[in-house]
Formats: sequence, C-alpha cells, structure tokens
Amino acid sequence: MTETLLGFWLALPSWLQILLANLVKIVIIVLPVVLAVAYLTYAERKIIGYMQVRVGPNRVGPRGWLQPIMDAVKLMFKEIIVPTNANRFLFIGAPILAFAPAMVAWAVIPFSDTLWLTNIDAGLLFILALTSMGVYGVIIAGWASNSKYAFLGSLRSAAQIVAYEIAMGFALVGVLMAAGSLNLREIALAQAGGAHHWYILPLFPLFLVYFISGVAETNRAPFDVAEGESEIVAGFHVEYSGMAFALFFLGEYANMILIGALAAVMFLGGWTTPFTPAVVASLPWLGDGIHWFLIKVSFLMFCFLWFRATFPRYRYDQIMRLGWKVFIPVTLVWIVVIGVAKFLTPWGYLFH
Amino acid sequence: MLNNYVPILIFMAVALIMGVAMVVIGRVLGPHRPDTEKNSPYECGFEAFEDSRMKFDVRYYLVAILFIIFDLEIAFLFPWAVALSEVGMLGFVAMMLFLGILVVGFIYEWKKGALEWE
Amino acid sequence: MTAAMPNFLPVAPEIFVFSMACVILLVDLFLSDARRGVTYLLTQLTLIGAAVLTVKGMSAAAVMTFNGMFVGDALANVLKLAIYGVTFFGFAYSRDYLRERGMYRGEYFVLGLFGVVGMMVMASASHFLTLYLGLELLSLCVYAMVALQRDSGQSTEAAMKYFVLGAMASGLLLYGMSMLYGMTGSLEISAVRKAIEGLSADNVILVFGLVFVVVGIAFKLGAVPFHMWVPDVYHGAPTAVTVYLGTAPKLAAFALVMRLLVGGLEGLAVSWQSMLIILAILSMAAGNVIAIAQDNIKRMLAYSSISHMGFFLLGIVSVSQNGYSSALFYVVVYAVMSLGAFGMVILLSRAGFEAERLDDFKGLNQRSPWHAFLMLLVMISMAGVPPTFGFYAKLLVIQSVINAGMIWLAIVAVLLAVIGAFYYLRVIKLMYFDDADDKAPLGGPADVRVLMGINALALVLLIPWVGVLMEVCRAAIRALAVA
Repeated sequence: MTETLLGFWLALPSWLQILLANLVKIVIIVLPVVLAVAYLTYAERKIIGYMQVRVGPNRVGPRGWLQPIMDAVKLMFKEIIVPTNANRFLFIGAPILAFAPAMVAWAVIPFSDTLWLTNIDAGLLFILALTSMGVYGVIIAGWASNSKYAFLGSLRSAAQIVAYEIAMGFALVGVLMAAGSLNLREIALAQAGGAHHWYILPLFPLFLVYFISGVAETNRAPFDVAEGESEIVAGFHVEYSGMAFALFFLGEYANMILIGALAAVMFLGGWTTPFTPAVVASLPWLGDGIHWFLIKVSFLMFCFLWFRATFPRYRYDQIMRLGWKVFIPVTLVWIVVIGVAKFLTPWGYLFH
Repeated sequence: MLNNYVPILIFMAVALIMGVAMVVIGRVLGPHRPDTEKNSPYECGFEAFEDSRMKFDVRYYLVAILFIIFDLEIAFLFPWAVALSEVGMLGFVAMMLFLGILVVGFIYEWKKGALEWE
Repeated sequence: MTAAMPNFLPVAPEIFVFSMACVILLVDLFLSDARRGVTYLLTQLTLIGAAVLTVKGMSAAAVMTFNGMFVGDALANVLKLAIYGVTFFGFAYSRDYLRERGMYRGEYFVLGLFGVVGMMVMASASHFLTLYLGLELLSLCVYAMVALQRDSGQSTEAAMKYFVLGAMASGLLLYGMSMLYGMTGSLEISAVRKAIEGLSADNVILVFGLVFVVVGIAFKLGAVPFHMWVPDVYHGAPTAVTVYLGTAPKLAAFALVMRLLVGGLEGLAVSWQSMLIILAILSMAAGNVIAIAQDNIKRMLAYSSISHMGFFLLGIVSVSQNGYSSALFYVVVYAVMSLGAFGMVILLSRAGFEAERLDDFKGLNQRSPWHAFLMLLVMISMAGVPPTFGFYAKLLVIQSVINAGMIWLAIVAVLLAVIGAFYYLRVIKLMYFDDADDKAPLGGPADVRVLMGINALALVLLIPWVGVLMEVCRAAIRALAVA
C-alpha cells in the first residue's frame, strides 16, 4: 500500500508536491494555533474566575471544556449586520486584514530545532512587517463602520498600537545587537546552553518593554481603554457581529500568543533548556525540545491573563505617556548601553 | 534562497482563505433580516446626530507622523544591529551620531508638547 | 569590510553649523520669550564661526572627501562665504519684524541655519546625491519657514504651493539624474563628465535626462515657464522669510547650475545652451513686463528676481570661463541687491502694518531722506545704472554673451533690461516726487540701520574694488574646471 502511495506521490509534478507538503505543514501549525486561541479564551475565563474566587464557565460539556466550541458555533449562527452607508467591501475586509497577519507570522516561528515551516534569514523583519499590517485592520474597521464611536475608537486604538510598536521595534534592535542575526532560529540558538545564556538577563529592561508593549499592542488589559465596555462601547468593533466579530477576536488572541512565542524565542531561549549541559547529560529528557517552548509560551500567556485580572485600566493619556515618554527613552538608553559595553568595556561578552 | 519564501506565500493564501471562509460560513448559516433599526449606527440608544465622517483631532495626525519618523529610524537600526560586529567601533559611533540627531528631535517634540494630552 | 574614516577636516564648517543648529534648537526650548535674544545671538555667532572655519580651511588645491562626494574648492568657499554674509544680514533685518508679529521663535533661526547647511552642502557637492541632499535640506527648511506665520491664510497658501511644486520639481531633477546615471554608470560628477566625453552629444537618453535636470534647475531658479511659485511665495511669506529665501538660495541655485550643467554635463553644452537661451529670454521678458503691472512691492521684486535670473542664465549660456565667472559675479551682486530691497521693505513695516504696497513708498524722501537714498541706490543698482555693481554685473554678462558670438541675444537682453528699468524708476519717483500718505517717521534699531547702510552703500562704494571681486570669481570658476 505504501508503495502505491509513494508511486502516486512521485508521479505528481514537483510544484504540486511542494504545495501539498507545505499545506500539510501549514495545517499542522494552523490547527493547534486555532485550537490554542479558542481554548485561551476558555482558560482566560477560568483563570480569571479562580483569581476572583469564583468558578469560571463549567456548564457546557464536562467541566466546561466545550465552551469555546459552543461560542464559535453561536457566533456562526448570528447575523452579520452591515450598517447602512457602511462601505461593504471594507467592512468585510477589515476583520480579514486583522486576522490574516496574525496567522501568517506563525510561518517563521521555530518551535524547536527542526520544527519550523520556513527558516528565512529575515524572520524578525518579516514579523515586524506583519504586525505593522495589523494596524490597517483596526483603522479600516473604524472607518468602514460609519459610526462615530467606531471611528474615534479606531483612531485611539491605532495611535496606541503605533506608539507601542516603536517601543517593540527598539527592543527588537537590542536583541539583534546581541544575537547578530535576524533569523529567529539563530537567535534562539545563540541562547543555548542554559538559563544563564538567555537574553532576559542582560536585556532585562528590553524584555519588560517588549512584553508590556505586546500587552498594549493587542489592546489587552490594562491597556484596553479602546475596547473596554464601560469606555467607548467596544471601540472600533462596535458595529461588528457574528463571524466578522469572531475574526477580530481570533486575531487579537492569535496576536497575543504570537507575542508570547516571540518573547519566548528572543528572550527566553525558545526551545532551549534552562538547565546547563552538565545536568542535561545526566538527564537527557531535560534537554532542548518543543516542550520547553510550550512551557515558556504558556507561562507568558498566564502572565497576560494575570495582568487582566490584577491591574485596573489605564487612562488613555497615561497609556500614551508610557509608550512615548517612558519606553522609548528606556530602550534607546539600553541600546547605547549595549553598544558601549560591547566596544568600550571588557564586559561585552555579557551581551553576546 | 527564494525557495524559503514559498511556504509563506502558501500560508498567506491559506490565511486569506480561512478568513474569507469564516465570513462566508457566517453569512450562510446566519439569518439575514436587515431592518432600519438594526442597521442604524450605534449611538447609545439615540438617533445618530450627524454624519459619522467628522473632523478628528490633529493630534492623531501628529502621532502618525512621529511614528513614521521613528519607524524609519528602526528600519535603519535593523541592518546596523545585525552587522554590528563587522562595522566595529566606527559603525557604532556613526549610528550613535544618527541616534543623537534623532534624540534632539525627540527632545524638541517632548518639550513642545507634541506627546501630551493623549 | 572595514570602512575607512573619511577626512572630516574639509567638512568642519558644515559640522559646526549643523551641531550649533541642534544646540540652538535645544537651548531655545528652555528660553522664555523675553530671553529669545540669546537664540539670535547664538545664530549670528554660528555664522561668524562658520565663516572663520571656511577661511581657515581654504587651500589652493581642491580637497575631496567622503569618497569623492564632497569637494572643498574655491567655488565652494566663495559661495559659502557669500551665503554666510547674506544670511547674517537677513537674520539681523528680520529680528524686529519677527518680534512685532509674534513669530520671534527659535524655529525661524534653527530652520534658517539648517537651510544654510543645505546650501553649504550644495555648494560643495561633487556627487549627484550630495547635490540632491543639500537641495532637499534647503527646500524643506524653506517650505516650513514660509508657513511660519501660522494664522495667516496667505502664508499657508504660499507654503502649500511652494511645497507641492517644489516636491514635483525635485522629483523631476532626481529622475533626470537617474537617467544620466543609467547612461554614464556613475553618480559622481567628474566621472559623469568623463563618461559623456565617450558618448555622442545626441544620445537620446542623455538629452532626455538633461531636459529633466534643466527643468528641475529652472524651477529652483524661478525661470519662466517654471516661475509660477515665485510671486505667490515671495508675496505670501512673511517678509522676514522672503529676505532669506530671495537671497541666499539663489547662490545655492548657482551652485546647482555650475556643478551639474558645467561641472558634469559640459559635454552636452550644445543641448542645454539652446534650452537655457529660451529660458533666459522668456524669463527676462515675462519678469520685466509683468513686474510693470504690480502694485505690491514684494510681488514686483519677485518678478524682478525672475528677470534677474534670466540675465544670470545668459552668463551660463555663453559656455566660457568668462561667462561663468560673470554669472557668479551677477548672482552674488543680485543677492546683495535683493537683500537691500527686502530689507527696506522690512524697515518700512511696523507692528500691524505691512509696507507691501508700492504706495507705502510714497514720499519716503520727506519721512527719512537717508532711507530714501539707500533705496535709491538699491533700485538703480537693480536697474543697471552705472556706476553701481548692478551695472557692472549686467555689463560683464552681456560682454560674455557678445564674446560667444550671440550679438542678437545681447541686443534682446539690453532691450528687456531697459523695459525693466521702468518699475525701478517708478519706485524712485514715488519716493522723491510724491507726497507721503503716512507721515510717521521710520523706526528700526540702530544695528539694523547700520547694516542696511552698509548693504546699500556697498553697491556703490565698493566699485574701485570690482576688479578684485571679478578676479575672485574667475579663480573660483578656474578651480571648477580644473577639478
């Protein structure tokens, strides 16, 4: 049987082979990501519930495990309302524009030394470009909705995202100075050999800036003034319902996990183990592997949810002040520190 | 080398198809009964007062312009950071001069209040 | 690849002016309106320091640095010193004008200094991109300065027009440069010159590129038919900005013409000569004729600048060393004359009152004979009446045109200059033979009046040294040809 399959496979034209092979890999990435996004919503409600001394959803299915599935089904059956005088094409296009970049960025993330879809030399640049595309979705959604609240909300949201994108960009520059390559796999490999090699130690301010900027970019609490129900009634997606709304939601959570994955790769060593080679030699199951990657990303996701449960919402001017007046100077100073350390002091090896 | 990018192209197509498919599923499965009240823009329960395409604060424009400037700065910093070990001290000093000039601009906009009230 | 450190010594004036401009920008942030004089003082000291550095850096041979992108030769030094002097005077005239109108902010001086850096870079450019870089730095600063009076609709409109048209002209210039690069394979001006020697002057792509370059240059000069921005910008901008943009950038435009058309593209002279002849005749004709119809002195001076630029192009058209040096002389003299004219307009203006209309000059002799006399000197110099510098400048340009064998062109130029003399003489008539509408005496701080006196009197009193100045111009042009 395998021979007939193999024969069938070899008979296909080469472009079809490449297409099918990549499609299989893409499905292997996309399916878990979508499931992770769905169950992240469930985990959020449960974890925040327990932090607030209550049980989250536990009715739908055993212990509430079918909750996200049922939420998706519910949204599927809701009517998609297109407001009067709304620009139809843009109105439907905006959620797709918000969702697609969040998914495509997963193409370059290395899950382990050998598990990645593609290993391009400009991986970080690619991701920066895609996160910048996400802003378009927000602005177009607000504009196309023909609603004052949506418009104002989208402007404020876009201004916030754009301010924190600069801080994130500068933080990434710091990582690049240390790693010397835009290739995400090589950035992770440069931190191999134990937790003392991880970039979170010499680049700690940049890690803080990157992570908090990531929280602000995805419009998550405590930076969700543009989305908070008590503020501007769901901001730029006030006119959306049904699957279009679901797409925004999926895009936001996919972005969250993406930022967690990037922080793990750039600052926490990706799939490399925190244990030194000496320890790993004696206990090989503690070595590098995708399990470490998953543990780190899960921990960062937990931090996202923890922030939401703990902190009160920032005011909009406080958010902008933080992004422009605190984070950018901090990152700029740290970039200078890294450069000076590398060239003028004997401690450059710390910023390998 | 360009072969590395083919999976990305396929992924982009897949992501777009996914997005479109979800909207189509929503359209197919959901009811479609528009009426004037449902389709009117949301305004806290009132009738919309005026056209929603209104003037907006010039501060948003300022933020966008500042973003462009700093994003271009980042775009210049990226290749420099990658090649830092090769360009050595001279490259570092040159980039510090560039950053210095941009910091002068940053201090100017800070003091002038372009980063305020938002 | 280890990068070699470029030689920073020839660039010392540019580095000095640029860093001082950054320092002044920061210092001005922390000054209150009362202490703004510190900004003004620092700006003038910067210009003086730059002049000192330029003089100290002068050497007999041309110095190239930055991989052949920057050249420090006699032409660059002469132009830079002229730019410093003209800008120094311009800032001095403008100070009170700005203060009375609430525009006395550091931005004016900082933008002016950055524009000076742009002009210095243009003067020293030996590479297409350096030329373009200097041009854009100057242009962007001037666009912002024209709009400095934020509440005035006229200024904003002028700035918008200048910005849109200027951006397009820069784009055309760049497009022409890219075509020349495509044919010659290099962006460095001396290499382009050598490559053109090997190609035929009829090469379609070269001529195509040349046309775009000439269009870009003509816009910056304000030559007809690319002159549409000149009257609106000169009129709409606050006079303090007009005195800056009507004087020093003309010197930078001369650098553009010399470096590009003469330094790099002299091999195509048969092509650009005819283009420039057309531009020159149209400019002189349109400028002089339309200026007659004006009743606003800033607009009149704008059209007169168009006609003067036409005259200046005549010097270039003669494609000879003599012609180029007479054109350089003309441009420097024009900058000084324009400085005097706009300075007088500023002196006549007071708070809340713009001395823009020609009628404001009525009876100036009764109000202040000294100022009327200064304006008389400036006007007759612009008209080309001996024994002023303006006359010598026109004489030298026409001489070079005759020596090049284009007698008909010289006759046309002289005729148009005679037509143009009318509006200058009209100003003199208004000052001396009409009664003043408004009998208020002229004010102005002492230093401005002294500088104005020096400015106008130089046009006449320095005549015995005209030979020395011509020799300086000739030496500058010789340095260009040798390089």
